Parts: sequence; C-alpha cells; structure tokens
Amino acid sequence: MPKEKILHGIPASKGIAYGKAFIYEIKKTEIFQTPILSVYLKEEVARFERAIEKTKEELKKIKEQINREIGEDFGQFLDAQIMMLGDESIVETVKQRIFDEKKNVEYIYNEVTGEYAKKLGESKNAYFKERVVDIYDVGERVLKNLLEISQTSVLEAPSGSIVVARDIPPSEATLINPKNVIGIAMELGGRTSHTAITARALEIPAILGIGELMGKVQNGDDVIVDGERGIVIIHPSAGRVTYYETQQKKTQQLEKALLPVCELSPETRDGKHIDISANIEFFAEAGHAIKYGAIGIGLFRTEFLYLARHGSPSEEEQFKVYNALAKKMKPHAVIIRTYDLGGDKIFFDYHEANPFLGWRAIRVCLKEKEFFKTQIRAILRASVNKNIKIMFPMIATYEEIKRVRLIFNEVKQELKSKKIDFDEEIQLGIMMETPSAALMAPFLAQEVDFFSIGSNDLTQYTLAVDRGNEKISQLFDHYHPAVLKLIKEIASAGHGANIWVGLCGELAGDPLAIPLLIGLGIDELSMSPSSIPKAKLVLRTLIISQCQEIAQEALNFRTALEVKKFLNRMVRKRFPGIEEVMK
Amino acid sequence: MIKEIITILNENGLHALPASRFVKLAEKFSSKVELVKDGVRVNGKSIMGILTLACEKGAKVTLICNGKDEKETFAALRQILEGQD
Repeated sequence: MPKEKILHGIPASKGIAYGKAFIYEIKKTEIFQTPILSVYLKEEVARFERAIEKTKEELKKIKEQINREIGEDFGQFLDAQIMMLGDESIVETVKQRIFDEKKNVEYIYNEVTGEYAKKLGESKNAYFKERVVDIYDVGERVLKNLLEISQTSVLEAPSGSIVVARDIPPSEATLINPKNVIGIAMELGGRTSHTAITARALEIPAILGIGELMGKVQNGDDVIVDGERGIVIIHPSAGRVTYYETQQKKTQQLEKALLPVCELSPETRDGKHIDISANIEFFAEAGHAIKYGAIGIGLFRTEFLYLARHGSPSEEEQFKVYNALAKKMKPHAVIIRTYDLGGDKIFFDYHEANPFLGWRAIRVCLKEKEFFKTQIRAILRASVNKNIKIMFPMIATYEEIKRVRLIFNEVKQELKSKKIDFDEEIQLGIMMETPSAALMAPFLAQEVDFFSIGSNDLTQYTLAVDRGNEKISQLFDHYHPAVLKLIKEIASAGHGANIWVGLCGELAGDPLAIPLLIGLGIDELSMSPSSIPKAKLVLRTLIISQCQEIAQEALNFRTALEVKKFLNRMVRKRFPGIEEVMK
Repeated sequence: MIKEIITILNENGLHALPASRFVKLAEKFSSKVELVKDGVRVNGKSIMGILTLACEKGAKVTLICNGKDEKETFAALRQILEGQD
C-alpha cells in the first residue's frame, strides 16, 4: 500500500470529493526535418489537408460546447482560430513549399506559422501581439494531428474522476463535464483563474496552486480533494477515507434537509422581509441561484467576460450574456457590476507595484472611457427586460460618482438618439468598499439609488490587510469593530436618504453575522447560492428589535474576538431556534 | 480595379472578430482582395495577413478589389473596415 501524501494548495472551489486520478497533460510536439521523395509529395500534401480538416472538426466541437455551456455565441472567438486554420495564405504557402523544398509537412508548417507568429509578435499593439497565442494554439492542434499524437482531453475523464493537471487551458476548462469530473487538483492557478471560476460554477471542489504535483500521482490513484481545508490527499489511508465518507454523507444529508428550505420566504419571525439574493460570476450559476431559492442576483461579476477571452468583449457579446441572465431571472432583479479588475487584465503591457491601491475597477473605466461606455451600453440595452440594476465598484470619492453619472447619462442620451430601447428607470448603485466612501456616505447617497457593501474589500481596506498574504491573513477579520462601525455609517446614511442598502460578500452568508447585519439595518443580503438555505433558516428565527439591540451593543467592543464571543452568546440566548441551524 | 484609402474607426482596431468577418465576406466574392498598410501588402482573404498589419483605430489602409464583382466586393468590405463592432 503506497504511503499517504498530503499536499497543500489554494482552496478555489468548496466541497469534498473522493475519486480516482485522471491525469490531464499537455503533450509536447517535437518537430523533425526529413526529405520526401518526389513520388510521395502528393501524399504529403494530402496528409496536410486531412490534418487541417480534422483540426477544424475539433475546433467546431469545442466552439459548440462553449456556446452551449457558457452562453450563446460565446465561443465566437474560436471563429478566428478556425479561420487561421484554413487561412489561404498559410495553406497555399505550405503546399507550395512542400513541392519546392521536398521536405515533410510538419517541418514546413511549423516554419510558415512561425514566420507569421514572428511578424505579429513584433507589433507594438498589445492586442495584436497577444494573437500569437492563437497561432500557437491552432498550430499545436494541427501538428498533433499530423504526428498522430493523441492529446487526452478532460472530455474523456470517466465517471468519478479527479482531474490532476499542471494547468488546464481555458478552452479545455470549458469542456469539463460535472457528471464525470468530481474534483480538480492543479499545480498552477489561483482563485481568479479560469479553472477556478469554472469549478465554482459547476460546483466541483478544486485545489489550485499546489506546486509540485504531477510526479506524485498516477492515473487511477485514489485521491481526496478537500476544498474546505485546501488539501489534496493522495493514497488516503483507510481511516482517512472513512472520515471523509462520513463528512460527505453529513453534507449530503444536510443539503437534502435544506432543500425544502429553499422554498421558504426570506423573512424574520416578526415578518420583516429581507431580500436574500445570490452572488454569481457565470451565467451557468443562475440555475443554482434559482435552485437554492435566491430572490434575484445581488451581484453579477462581469470579470469573467474579460478573463475568459483574449482582450475585451464586444458590446454584442456582453449584451447577449446580460440579456440571457435577465430573462432567466425574471421577475427577480439582476444587479450587474461593471468591470472590477486591475488595468493589467486588459492592457497587457501595464504593470504596477501596488495593484490593490492602484489603477483598478472604476479608475480604469473612468480613464478608458470608450471601454467603459461599451459595457454600460450593453447593460442598458439588456435593461429592456426591466429587472436590471447597474452597480459601480470601488468608488472612493464623490467626484468619481459624479463622473460615472455623467458618462452613464451620456450613454443613455446616445441610445435615445439612436432610438434604442432601455429601461429609463434603471436603478444605479455603488459598491461601498472603501473607508472613504463609508465616511462620505451621506453625500454619496444623494447621487445613487442603492448601496451595496462589499464586505471583503471594505475589511481589507479598513484594516489595511491583504488577506492573500499568509503572514498577516489572521489580521483580516470581518467582525472587527472598525468594520462594523463603517457598515453602520453606510446603512444609516442610506436610510437617511431613503435608499436601500445591501451587503454582498462572505459576511452576508455567515449565520453569526446575519442577526448583526439585520440589526444594523441591512435590507438585502447577497451570498454564494449554496449559502442561501442556511441564511433563510437563520433569518426566520430572528426578531428585528432584538437584532437591533444586539447590533448596538456589538459596536462597543474593542476587538473582533470580543465581538464574536458576544455574538455567539447573545444570538443563542435571544433566538433559541438558531442553535439548530448553526450546527 | 477599385482602390481607396480607408480609416479604421473600430475602437479596438481591426481585431480578430472584424478581421474574421472581413475574410468570411471577402471569400463570398470572386474578386481578388488586397489590403495595404505602410507599404505592406497582404491577401484580404487571409486572416493571418490582415492581423499582421496590426491596424489600430485611426490606421489608414488601402483596400484594393480587382475582378468581375469588384464594385459589390468593395462596398461590402468597406462597411466592415469602417464598422464599430
């Protein structure tokens, strides 16, 4: 019996999976050069044509899969690859050179595509430079088909597979079938990598960024992926297996028990309705949101649209996704948050020393006005469904919201003059995630229709802690009184101006935090879909006046630990039913 | 033969999507299609050729159509070069 090995990584998608390793490896192609006898030259050309045809079929299949699973027309970027594949200049040049040079097609094809890649690579424009990736992508596929190297695909993973890989390219990640793939372990990648996003959308547990992994696992090995603790266990001992199987059973039973809860209306024991909605980043997740009983989408992250493809998505591409989501969630609302990444994600030659305090989110959008307007236009056009709200991230100053509104109105006017329909009453809100916004909330509230508190970033910026940094991540605590005081400021300012105040972020789905947040006056809680049933159960044990008393007192403590101790004690005492849920 | 200088108006330049649309459309006509930028001449029915021109917004390219249906070809392709998507 091989010895048990435990590897640590980044827990990128929650859950526990126990299955057999399926190794996904990108096979390298080696190009050789050999002379071809004149009589065989025709066959060499025919071989080339067959390889092109076969590759075209492969790409079409992937495109269909992407369109089906991510969203209609989302595989459009593969069109460019399909065209590069059948490109007249390349195909003709290759054929001609086979006859002229009397050499094997692999060698010639590699030379010809290499020349194009070189030309593109010399371009000063980052976008065109990046297209080299496409040439290599296509080229690799053709060469593999020529050399008859069978590239394994995650499509072939049998039922009960844990996919083990160094890296899974985006085009491959979209082919993961959750019926067969139950877990993912990867050497590279982090929480925002394409694979992580896909795994979360499909509810497959995943550990990424493990470091050395491939040499330690073989096809068919027993593997456990623990997405709660961020560990991968290879050759688990019998005791370990029993432990995890029990855990899994418990989770399944809990989920089953919670299913009827999804239907319950989200209100407190004394009848106050609180909107419980879902945070999603992927169209496919809308299904989970509905299944778990979300009252709409409280946060639709649009970053995926930018990360999933090379370059920024067109208005049309974005519109299709927003429109489909709005239609799917009707009659409930969908809050779409605009671009919330660093500038380096769209301007590939841009780097900075301090990204979290740098050129990101709204700061990128206000500088790159046309880029910003494209997204706003797509959102406005989808708002004809009458259930879309728009939300802007990382507002830190009053000037910023003023400028955002100016641009927003400009786009509205442009649409009007072109006679393009949109929802004239669309609500405009901002994320409250910087301390400066919280302190200036009474002024900001005059300019918007709602606030949504981003508790993760608000905590990070208030406590000046990068939670991704292991050395200091223990300093990151949502329950810190400084954070709670700011939340209170925001809620009071919002209500003072008659606008609603929501909270999206991990805190919203934390059973211990819910009574506190309700007591502070939060009107809407938006959380990951799977947290919703539990949150509803918690909510239904609460009484508003008592939550308010608890919240008032919680603000008087000195440390996060004191707050948590107090909450644990008080919540159980005041709301006896909660004990059952908290377990 | 029709030959004219056209300015690229698309925000992102003649990137992969409009370029592939351009080629797809060009292939529907029998005329020979060529693009010239900064003295470099490429086949207008080759996406690789077009991409290597790296046309950004504001770039001036010469569109050359030559053949029986050159008039229709030119009119159709011009729209893509001047388009906004």
